Amino acid sequence: MTISIVRLYHDLMGTYGDQGNAEVLIHRAKARGLDCELVEVTPHMPVPTSGDIYLIGGGEDGPQTASLRMLQKDGGLSVAIDRGASLFAVCAGFQIIGRQLPNPDGGMIEGLGLLDAITIVDESPRSVGELVIEPSQPELPVFTGFENHQGLTELGPEVRPLGKVSSGIGNGFDGLEGAWQGNIIATYMHGPALARNPELADVVLKGVVGELTPYDDDFANELARERRATLATK
Amino acid sequence: MSKSLRLGVASAVGEIAGVASKALGRGRGESIRGQALLAIDPQAIKKLASGRDIVLVSGTNGKTTTTANLARVLADGTDEDVSTSVYGANMRSGIAAALAAKPRNRYVVLEVDELYLPQMYDLMQPKVIVLLNLSRDQLHRTGEVRKVAQLWHDHFTRDDVTLVIDRDDPFLEYAVANAGHVLRVTFGGRRHPDAATCPNCSELLDWTAGDYQCSCGLGSKLATVRGERSLSGPARNAVLVIEAARLMGAVVPVETAAKLTANPPDRVADNIVAGRLVHTRLAKNPESWRTSLAQVSAPNVILAVNARGIDGKDTSWLWDVDYRCLQGKQVICVSERRRDVAYRISVQGIVPQVVSSFEQAVALFDDQPIDAVASYTAFQDLAAQQMGLNVRTGGRT
Repeated sequence: MTISIVRLYHDLMGTYGDQGNAEVLIHRAKARGLDCELVEVTPHMPVPTSGDIYLIGGGEDGPQTASLRMLQKDGGLSVAIDRGASLFAVCAGFQIIGRQLPNPDGGMIEGLGLLDAITIVDESPRSVGELVIEPSQPELPVFTGFENHQGLTELGPEVRPLGKVSSGIGNGFDGLEGAWQGNIIATYMHGPALARNPELADVVLKGVVGELTPYDDDFANELARERRATLATK
Repeated sequence: MSKSLRLGVASAVGEIAGVASKALGRGRGESIRGQALLAIDPQAIKKLASGRDIVLVSGTNGKTTTTANLARVLADGTDEDVSTSVYGANMRSGIAAALAAKPRNRYVVLEVDELYLPQMYDLMQPKVIVLLNLSRDQLHRTGEVRKVAQLWHDHFTRDDVTLVIDRDDPFLEYAVANAGHVLRVTFGGRRHPDAATCPNCSELLDWTAGDYQCSCGLGSKLATVRGERSLSGPARNAVLVIEAARLMGAVVPVETAAKLTANPPDRVADNIVAGRLVHTRLAKNPESWRTSLAQVSAPNVILAVNARGIDGKDTSWLWDVDYRCLQGKQVICVSERRRDVAYRISVQGIVPQVVSSFEQAVALFDDQPIDAVASYTAFQDLAAQQMGLNVRTGGRT
């Protein structure tokens, strides 16, 4: 099988380096002998419905709204998720897949509704800095990333978080970070998140191929270990 | 104490503090000199700027070099001494120190940090502001590129200054949309990596013709100066320098531009590390890393990245740079975020070595030439080390 990885609008939603998540997934899949193809979706291109993993990153307010409008009009991402494809969404990408989010011009706008979550903006200062979380799944290690966002995201009752915040802000509600609903994982962690947390990259790959053969990438492991150790001492 | 006496005392105390700081090996003294000055007279910048002919230079990349070049061209073209910034000191204290250094000089050319520019514009009433470019840099501090453009857009609404801009940058075009006097320079258009959408209306910009267009009209104002499309970033900035100098009344010979594009000493340094020459370039954001990597020619390469305040605390941008030009070279990653760099380049098929210092890296190379690309504080730490100082620059990680 060839894993089809669909990177959505990275010109618009790549302000914080999240396009690296695609490179990490491909690198880790190929190391296991799995074939991958990267499908770049640029503005006004139809979103393919046959992809296995969809990636959307963080972006600024204007590009975020433009991406949301295009995804709503296209409808392909929703079709893909309905048929069981995986989605990994970061920051502004996390916000637009929820039910509602702030309109940069005031008020609220409808999101894609793929995730039961609502993002609001209050008077809090922008959440900027290193983020450390304890994952909800006990078999996973501590995750680290760098957050840089204005909105605060409240999860609906059916959605579990990606983890609990041990340092940083995360979603800004109940000390939680990110979201995990079926094949959708969302987070405020940049880094990119899958580069700094190879175990999370494998969670995303397992969602498509099932069990993975072990793979020790010294460069990835050393980075993850160094970040976890450095941030644990702060 | 009278106002002028207070300023005089402030300047004298600042001078003593600056000399003391320099003697103690704490940088070049401008910052501490300016801090002392402002502590005694908070109005020092406004007072020292009063009645002088001032040019401010701002933008993401090229500020320090452009400021130095403009000061030189203005001095040559007016036969007057020009006060100017020293070594990129571009916030309040550095600006105060530069103004105080030779307060009788009529002409002043100052580098200004992007976020401080509106405040400095109000305080100093410059005649000309040169805006070079806006792209991603220190996002932990600025939040978003377009937030800076918005800040400028909201502030440049008067007609008491002429803004000189590279209009091929849509963020700059938006920044000056409400300004009274704008001198637009074009180089025939070029795709901006961070401007997929319009800074004004958020619609997708149309880049199909190699230049941007938007249905809201952004970009439709004609440029009055046209440079060649093939010019490099420093060469484009040199064109802006000449236009700004002419606006200030300087006589600028036509051959000046060619003389302005040499490597600036504070961005490129030949360091001696453990007896080996290490040709080092400072690169601080995706745009300047792309430029610096394209200039790497040696077979041995050191990549040095920190993530202290001035470097940008988030290293995610490393993944926005293509390192494949380093394939086939021996690459060693050093400094505090060496593991971030090592993993990123390993995914592009480059297998680096990872050590903690330049000295350790140099010991691993063969005797062929060594190039280095270093983030802001890694570059400064190395420069300080060359002067025999053991300092850690640029704030906390």
